[in-house]
Formats: sequence, C-alpha cells, structure tokens
Amino acid sequence: MSATSAPSTLPIVDIRHVSKSFGALKALNNVSMSMSLGEKVVIIGPSGSGKSTLLRSINKLETVDSGTIIVDGLDINAPATDINKLRMELGMVFQSFNLFPHKTVLENLTLAPMKLKGMSRAEADEMGLKLLDKVGIMEKAHVYPSKLSGGQQQRVAIARALAMSPKIMLFDEPTRALDPEMIGEVLDVMVTLAREGMTMAVVTHEMGFAREVADRVVFMDHGGIIEEGTPEHFFKSPEHDRTKLFLSQIL
Amino acid sequence: MSETRIIDVGEGAAIPSKTDWGLFNAWTISIVFAISTIFYLIVFEPAPYKRIILYLSDGVIITFEVTIISIICACIIGLITGLGRVSKNKAINLLASTYVEIIRGIPLLVQLFYIYYALGRLLNVHDLTAAVIAMSVCYGAYMGEVFRAGITAIDKGQSEAARSLGFNTKQTMFLVILPQAWRTILPPVGNEFIALLKDTSLVSILAVSDLLRRGREFSSETFLYFETFTMVALVYLVITLLLSKGVSLMEARLSHYVRH
Ligand SMILES: Nc1ncnc2c1ncn2[C@@H]1O[C@H](COP(=O)(O)OP(=O)(O)OP(=O)(O)O)[C@@H](O)[C@H]1O
Ligand SMILES: [Mg+2]
Repeated sequence: MSATSAPSTLPIVDIRHVSKSFGALKALNNVSMSMSLGEKVVIIGPSGSGKSTLLRSINKLETVDSGTIIVDGLDINAPATDINKLRMELGMVFQSFNLFPHKTVLENLTLAPMKLKGMSRAEADEMGLKLLDKVGIMEKAHVYPSKLSGGQQQRVAIARALAMSPKIMLFDEPTRALDPEMIGEVLDVMVTLAREGMTMAVVTHEMGFAREVADRVVFMDHGGIIEEGTPEHFFKSPEHDRTKLFLSQIL
Repeated sequence: MSETRIIDVGEGAAIPSKTDWGLFNAWTISIVFAISTIFYLIVFEPAPYKRIILYLSDGVIITFEVTIISIICACIIGLITGLGRVSKNKAINLLASTYVEIIRGIPLLVQLFYIYYALGRLLNVHDLTAAVIAMSVCYGAYMGEVFRAGITAIDKGQSEAARSLGFNTKQTMFLVILPQAWRTILPPVGNEFIALLKDTSLVSILAVSDLLRRGREFSSETFLYFETFTMVALVYLVITLLLSKGVSLMEARLSHYVRH
C-alpha cells in the first residue's frame, strides 16, 4: 500500500517536543512526530498512553503546555493563527461519532460548508449527496442520525468531515464503539480514502488496517513515542520490549 | 445517543404528564371544571358574577401584559446570563454568577418593593414598567440557571465536533448547542413561565391594577369577598392551564428529531 501513494517529503504536520499535563499526570512527554503530505500514520498503544491527546492537540482540541505544532506551515498555537480556519483543513472523526442529532444526515454534512464556506444550499446538497453515496448511505440522507446503526453513523461522521474538503483526516479510534459486524464497513471507507491519497492520522487497534494502509506505525506508551516504523518492521521485528509486549497482547 | 434528559428545577410538573388517558387527564378535567364553573356562575348567577368578571377583565389584560413582557425579557436576560455562566471569560462568568447569587438571595417581594419604590421613584419610572423590570430581573436569574443547566447537559462531543469542523464558539453555541438544549430547557422554562405568571399577582401590592388588585378593589367596595376571589382564582387557573398547554405543545414540536 505504501508504494501506491508515495509520501512526498514536505511535512504537513510537524510536532516538535510537545508536552501536555492534566494536573500531575503527564499525558504527553516531549513528543515529536511529523507527517508528510499523503502519508498515513497509524498510532497504537495501551489505554492512557496519550494517543488521543496527541491527535487532539493537532487540531487544538487540547492545547499543549510546551513545544510547537506546525500544520500546513502554520504554528497552531501562535496568536496570529486563525485556528477556526486551520481546523477546516483538519477533518476529525471521533470514537463516539458526535453527529448533530437535531439535523438530518444530509444537514449534518451541509451545515459547515454552508456556514463556513458560503456554499449555497443547492451546491452543498449536491456535494453532500455525493459524499453520502461514497460512504454508501445515500438513501439515509433525510433521516435523523438516531435512526442509524453505529456503523452508518460513523460513515456519516466521516462524510461530514470530508464535506469541508480537509487536507488531513484525524481518526480517534473510529471503530472502538462499534459492534464487530459493523467495523468492516467503516474500515472499508477509510481504506478507500487512503487509496485516494488522503493524509491520515489514525488511532486504532485494528492491526489489519494498520498493516494494509499505514505508511508508518507509531507506538506510544506513557505519553511518549516508544517506537515507529513501517508495518513490516513493526509487526515482524519490533525492537523495544514494551512494543513486543503490547503486540503480543493485542495480536 | 440522544435520549431526553430532564433537568429538574424546583417545582413539580406544571406541564401535564404524558400518560394519555384520553380526556381523563388532570389538565382536561381542570380546564373543563374551571371554564364551566365560570360560565355557570355568569349565566345562572349574573347578579354578582357578571359584574365581577367585567370588573376583573381590565386586570386580566394587565396580568397578561406583565406576564408576556416579563417572560420575553426574562428569557433574554436568562439566555444572556446562562451564556455568561458557561463562558470561559472569567470576568463575564463572575458577573453572571454574582447577578444570580444576589437575585436568588432576595425575596421577589422585596425586589419588587425595591425596584418599584427605590428605583421607580428615583428615576420616575412608570408603575407597570417598574413591575415588569422587577419580574424580569428576578426571573432572568432563575432562567439563567435553567439555561446553564440545559447547555451543560449537552454532550461535550457535540461542541468538539462543531469546533473541529471550524465553527467558532459563537457558531457552535447557536448552531449546535442551543438548538439541542431547547429540548431539555423547555420543560423547566415552562415551569418558570407558570411560576412567573402566578407571581405577577405580587405586583398587586404595588399600584398596578392586575387581576388580583382589581379583585381586591372590587371586593372591598362590595364586600363580596367570597364571590370575587372565587372568580379571581378561577380566572388564574384558566390562564395558567392555557399557558401550560402552550408550553407542552411547543415541547412536542421541538422533540421532532428524536421521534422521527
Ligand atoms: N481532559 C482530561 N482531564 C484529565 N485527564 C485526562 C484528560 N484527557 C486525558 N487525560 C488523561 O491523560 C492520559 C492520556 O489520555 P489519552 O486519552 O490521550 O489516552 P489514550 O492513549 O487515548 O487512551 P485510550 O486508549 O484509553 O483512549 C490518560 O491517563 C487520561 O486519563
Ligand atoms: Mg483515546
């Protein structure tokens, strides 16, 4: 997979020496990581290791205590940076879907493009339906999210993020809240997206997905990156004991 | 993912319960009782009762006026206060909290006297205006708490989803949070409406000729205490019941996206 979408060398996300504490707890401890355009990075690690915190600090849902994060050439924590504008380039998919329950499926997709990009309703609807078709639930366009299964909701959530035409997609354990039989339909959408060349950072425990899609696998523990490498390296010959231990538990 | 959360604020259910026993529910029985009693008395005992109701009608209008304007003002003040109470801006937050704290610490009647006599005389404010200001300022604080509770009851994931799409705090609040919060806010707000309506009777202590004051005037002239206050109570009951029905209809309309 990594051969089909060769990552260019330009870093689109550059995380440098980032630390973040919640009270006495160090959720991120001097983490550095960068991603180039088109690259797919899968982040794995035990619970509480800081995966979500790292991902969420990329679009500033968490503000880091120290270090810098550059996204698309802009320091996200610089006072001059318009974070709302920058977030339009960063699609995010949550474990708990977080669809807007008071909007129909289609409205979930069109709200942001209409309000933030000044798209007309007709344009937005057309684009929204196209995206729903892409994630395979066009027939649900006019129902409310509460009527959908978890897998369908998550596919809508992905489409909603894509509706802003982001440059980068962030996924925080998108399949963790799903019944096993629905995981595949969501992963399929993500694989398609990866094949189209989307830059993706994915926190997941789906090792099959990591093997198939990742250009790089990052293993985190206790707020730090312990080891990173290609899937081949990572699954066949991990170097650190903690990585080996984790992989032995999860595989 | 989106079941209705009920925020319990103060008084019991002013809004009829959802248990549907056809016509045999508390609301229908009460309204039929109140309206038919009024009609019966007017038709069969016009001597005192028709005179009473005609005398009271001016007061009904004043009570309506005070109620409606105060509800609107209290909602606006309440929304602003509620937003202030959830604001990350420390100064705004402190201001809103202090307002709520002070208002909740002073009895409504004392606030009425204060605004009416102290400020009203000082600034030469019209009687009715003073009454409306007092009711609005007081209920604005209570409604602020209801709004705050409704806003904070919305899952944090909703604002995170909105923010991550690029919405700013204001857009997030008005496009995503508040439209959902209405559903949880409306039942307790409805209770506040009804409490406010009933509390407008306190303005009769001032020189505002509301329903209760008109009743007191009439009865002290005619000594028909029993007849007058029977009518006053029935009229309050009808207005209150109608208002509570209005609120529950609004509530039903707003819950459309859960039932679909
Ligand atoms: N808002 C918060 N307040 C306090 N502590 C937090 C907060 N968010 C995260 N933490 C703590 O920071 C640490 C890292 O959390 P994080 O959510 O990043 O871990 P994670 O690797 O995503 O774990 P999981 O696999 O369980 O999702 C954890 O110990 C967590 O309890
Ligand atoms: Mg997590």
